[in-house]
Amino acid sequence: MSAAAPRRAAAVSIVVAIVLALLVGMLARASGGADPVAESPLLGRPAPDVRTTTIDDALFDLSRRKGSWVVLNFFNSTCVPCREEHGDLVAFAKSQDGANDPVELYSVVVDDTDAAVRAFFDELGGSWPKLRDPDGAITVAFGVAQVPETWVVDPNGVVRLRVAGRVTLDILRSEIAVLRGEV
Amino acid sequence: MSASAPRRWPLLIAAAAATVLLGVAAVRDTGPLTQQERIESISRRVACPTCQGESIAASRATAAEAIRAEIARQVATGQRTDDEIIGYLESRFGASVLLLPRSTGLDSLVWILPVVVLVVAAVALAAALVRWRRTAQQEADGAPSAGSAERQRTPVGRRIAVVAATVAVAAGGGWFVAAQSGQRLPGQSATGGIEESTATILSQARSLNFSDPKASVDLYGRVLEVDPDNVEALTYRAWILVLAARDASDEVKLAAFAAADGQLRRAIELDPNYPDARCFLGVLLFRYAGDAPAAKEQLDTCASMDPPAVVKGIVEGLRGEVEAALAED
Repeated sequence: MSAAAPRRAAAVSIVVAIVLALLVGMLARASGGADPVAESPLLGRPAPDVRTTTIDDALFDLSRRKGSWVVLNFFNSTCVPCREEHGDLVAFAKSQDGANDPVELYSVVVDDTDAAVRAFFDELGGSWPKLRDPDGAITVAFGVAQVPETWVVDPNGVVRLRVAGRVTLDILRSEIAVLRGEV
Repeated sequence: MSASAPRRWPLLIAAAAATVLLGVAAVRDTGPLTQQERIESISRRVACPTCQGESIAASRATAAEAIRAEIARQVATGQRTDDEIIGYLESRFGASVLLLPRSTGLDSLVWILPVVVLVVAAVALAAALVRWRRTAQQEADGAPSAGSAERQRTPVGRRIAVVAATVAVAAGGGWFVAAQSGQRLPGQSATGGIEESTATILSQARSLNFSDPKASVDLYGRVLEVDPDNVEALTYRAWILVLAARDASDEVKLAAFAAADGQLRRAIELDPNYPDARCFLGVLLFRYAGDAPAAKEQLDTCASMDPPAVVKGIVEGLRGEVEAALAED
C-alpha cells in the first residue's frame, strides 16, 4: 500500500465530515419552528397595499394609517388557534385604550363570512375593525398561508414583525416595545 | 502516438452535442396562448405553501386557491409576465413557493450539477473504453500492458486539454440548462432583492421626515416626478416645507406657506378623505394665516376621519386653541 493512501483516506474523511456537518446544520435550522416570530421577505419592506372595507362597510386603506403602529391579525372564525389567541388580542386592544401612542389593531377575515365573524366577536369580545378579504388578495399580498398570522407595520408603513401561529399578549407587548425602541 | 488517440475527439464532440441537445429539449417552449393556459402554466410552477410537494394547480387548499385567484387577477390585468408574477409570489411567500429551483445563486446547482456529472461521466466512460480497447489490442499484439507506460506516451498538454474541454462543455451545458429551465425572476438579484418602488421611496422619506428634512423633501420630489398626484408625497412635502420655513425670514416664510397651502389643497382635492392633509392645512391656516374659522373646519373634518396617531398628536392641543380664538372673536 502506498504512502498516499492514508493521506487520501484522511482527505476523504474530512470532506465527508464537512458535508455531514453542513447537512446537520441545515436540518437544525429548518426544524427550528418553535419560535412563532417568523421570517418573511416582506420584513423591512413597505407593507403591501390594503384597500378594502370592514364588515361594517367602512373604507380601509392601510397606507392612510401611516403615522400609527398597526397590527394586522389574519384569522378565521373556525380556526382553533384563532379562538385560543383571541383573549390575548382582546387584552392587547384594551391595553391600548387611552395610550399616548396607541397601536391600531385590525383583523383580516380569511375565507369566512361576515355573519360568522360577527358571531365570533359577539361570543369572544373585541370591537376593533374587521377587514374583508373576499378574494384572498390581502392574504396573498402578505404571503399568509395558514391562519392565524399576525403582522406589525410601523408608522412609516414598513413591515416590522410577522408572528406565524398563535400570538400572545406577551409576544405583542414585548416585540412592539423592542421595535419602538422602548427596551 | 497511438492510432486510437484521435478517436477521442469524436467521442468528446458527441458528448458535447448530446449536452446541447438535452439543453434544447429541456427548454423547448411552445408558449401558452390563452389567459387560462397562462394561469395553468404559472400555477404548475408554484408550490402550494401548505401542502408537501404539490403545485397550486393540483391543490385544493385554501391558500392554493387564493394564490391561483391572484395569478388570474394579474394575468387578466396583463401588466406582468409569467416570470414577474412568480417573482411577485416569491417576494411574498419566500423561495419555498418556487416549485422549480431558480436559475441563479445556489439553486442553480440543482440544474448545473446533473449536467456536469453527465458530461464528466460520459467523457470518463469514453476514455476508459479507449484504454480498454488499446490494452486488448496490445495484449493481442503481444506488447506489454498499457498502464503507466501508456500514460507516459500521452502528452501532458493533451491530457490537460481534454480535461479543460470536458470541464468547459460540462459547465457551459449546465449553465445553459440552468438559465433556460430554472425560475427566472425579473427585477430580483441572486439574493432576492426587489426593485425600488414608489412605496419604498415613500417609506424612506417618511423615516427621514424630521431627522433629515432636506433628504426627505428630495425623496418626495422623486415620487412626484413619476406620480404628480401622489397625495402622501404632496401632503408631507408641504408639511416639511412649513416646518422648515418657521424660522426663515418673513419673505421666505410667506412664499413657503403659500406653496404649502397650494400643495395641501391640491392633496385634499385629489383625496378628500385623507385626514393628514386636512390637519396640516388646519395648522397652517391657524398658526400662520390667523384664520381660525377656516382652520376649525379643516381640523374638525380631519378629526372626524380618525387620523393616525402621529397626526392626532400634532393637532390635539391646537383644536382647543382654535376654539378659544373663535370664542374671543
